[in-house]
Amino acid sequence: MAQLENIKDLWKQQETENIRYSKNELQGMMRQRSSSVVKWILIISILEFILPNIIFLVTDFEASREFNEQYGLTNMVNVYLGIHIVIILGFIYVFYRNYRNISVDTSVKMLMHHIITTRKTVKYYIYYNLTIAALIGFHMFYEVFNSKAFLSTLPEKTNLALIWIVSSVLFVLVLVLLWGIYKLVFGFFLKKLNRNYQELEQAE
Amino acid sequence: MTKDLETKFLSELDKHQNIIHKVCRTYTNNDAAHKDLFQEITIQLWNAYPKFRGDSKFSTWMYRVSFNTAISLYRKTKRNIETTPLIENKVDFEYSEYNDKQDRQLDLLYKAIHSLNDIEKALALMYLEDKSYEEIASTLGITEINARVKMNRTKTKLKNILNP
Repeated sequence: MAQLENIKDLWKQQETENIRYSKNELQGMMRQRSSSVVKWILIISILEFILPNIIFLVTDFEASREFNEQYGLTNMVNVYLGIHIVIILGFIYVFYRNYRNISVDTSVKMLMHHIITTRKTVKYYIYYNLTIAALIGFHMFYEVFNSKAFLSTLPEKTNLALIWIVSSVLFVLVLVLLWGIYKLVFGFFLKKLNRNYQELEQAE
Repeated sequence: MTKDLETKFLSELDKHQNIIHKVCRTYTNNDAAHKDLFQEITIQLWNAYPKFRGDSKFSTWMYRVSFNTAISLYRKTKRNIETTPLIENKVDFEYSEYNDKQDRQLDLLYKAIHSLNDIEKALALMYLEDKSYEEIASTLGITEINARVKMNRTKTKLKNILNP
């Protein structure tokens, strides 16, 4: 390692040779906006908290109320909605708590750990949303396909099994698509971070 | 009050800006990316400054925030990705960005450092800066034993790149 020791001398010589920014330039820089990964995670997370519920917000309430009443779904929908709101608030609380823990003056490993933990909250939130969407979806299919209101509209000799299969496949495709988009967005953001975290975990 | 804090911060930042330049030069390989990362580190330092209590030296704290920003927070902008050459375990490509005043040997050293991974880069920089294993371990958040193991591996890697 003798050669590496020599390199240290070389390294120290660079002190005076480096570029320097003036105080004015430094002041200009400190007033700029950050474009850090954490900021992007916050923005995307907020979008992810909102987006699954936008579908609900843009729904034509009157039409969906009529639909629910027609097929006897009103109670079921209300129960799910109640549970859903409580769970979302729980997620937002945990996310906020984790986000507050992210601090740039902890150790490198701790910072990555907090970023990953914060991210995981949103990951579980997405998984939760996909699960509840699947649950409500299939429950609704079941209720609707078995309701007199629906069966009476069908022509005779309709293959009910085929309706089930087609609806299920389409529905699952939509869920997989949403999951894929989520994976893509965050794979993109956290690939480097995860790799560095693994590197530090190694041999611990 | 804020004005005082800003003045104090600016003078510390100015005094120690060399540290940030070294981190930037370690983690980037062109002027635009260097400036980009420097700016992000400055923003992070300024944001964290009100919480800085002086338990550690300003320079130690600065290292920590700079590494955290370079390793975990900084995202290359599109512009930088386009101008970043792909570095394999070779140091034989032409490197012109910092060539003007710098010694060719220092250039080679930086090229070698560029081929290390992000954690190894931090280790190499702290080795060159003569940091204690205690400080290295606490900056990275790993045990001292692990820091020694990783440091030896990094030094061997660096040596192999410099003398293939």
